[in-house]
Amino acid sequence: MTTDVTTIVSGLPRSGTSLMMQMIHSGGLPALTDEMRAGDEDNPRGYFELEAVKKIRTDTSWLDDTPGRVVKMVHLLLYDLPGARSYRVVFMTRDLGEVVRSQGVMLQRRGTTGAALTPGQLVKAYESQLAKIRQWLDEQRNFEVHYTSYNDLMADPPTVAAAVNAFLGGGLDVDAMLRNVDPKLYRQRQALST
Amino acid sequence: MAKIKIDKSLYERVRKTAERAGYSSADEFVTHLIEKAVADVEGAASDEEVEKQLRGLGYIE
Repeated sequence: MTTDVTTIVSGLPRSGTSLMMQMIHSGGLPALTDEMRAGDEDNPRGYFELEAVKKIRTDTSWLDDTPGRVVKMVHLLLYDLPGARSYRVVFMTRDLGEVVRSQGVMLQRRGTTGAALTPGQLVKAYESQLAKIRQWLDEQRNFEVHYTSYNDLMADPPTVAAAVNAFLGGGLDVDAMLRNVDPKLYRQRQALST
Repeated sequence: MAKIKIDKSLYERVRKTAERAGYSSADEFVTHLIEKAVADVEGAASDEEVEKQLRGLGYIE
């Protein structure tokens, strides 16, 4: 499958972006990844990341390798994509209480520190950022965006996979995509009370 | 209701501007401006914290 458009999976960390990368990759659109960030307890099947993406503010040359591939990018970096290219984005959403809980577990495992905010404040900050980026994406003529809920994906994988396939042109192997969905890896189900 | 002191000449400008902009009073206009300014500062602060969070998780440099 080839296309001049850059295909991106985006969203907040722990919103199912790695799973979606894995699904699209298995479906037939290869992931652009350096495999530097290996799988671990948080993402046993790998992160499907490309380190160069983090340097987008100073180097966008890696974008030349993106046509015909899918690349993962955290939501905040979408603003830094050059305007001269076209993008289609599968944007993952997830219950924000689950996202924040899962991020907390990941920070603990990594032994790093995150925001100096309470979980409730972090949920509100993410709500605000997601509203802003949705509005910004709506205004960009060179972006096509498909919002996909991780919670819906866990509840009804075939429907969500079919919708992603349709958004990406209909050429993916949906059965292969679905083989990646493992409910056992849906671990942070309880939403926080904010 | 708490009160804030401002310079009298500034108050006059606020009063006239509020009237021109269709606010029912200078108080309503000033309250709106302060709410917006505070929300902007709070938003900027939380954006910085989100960046710290993403850095801690390894998603940005």
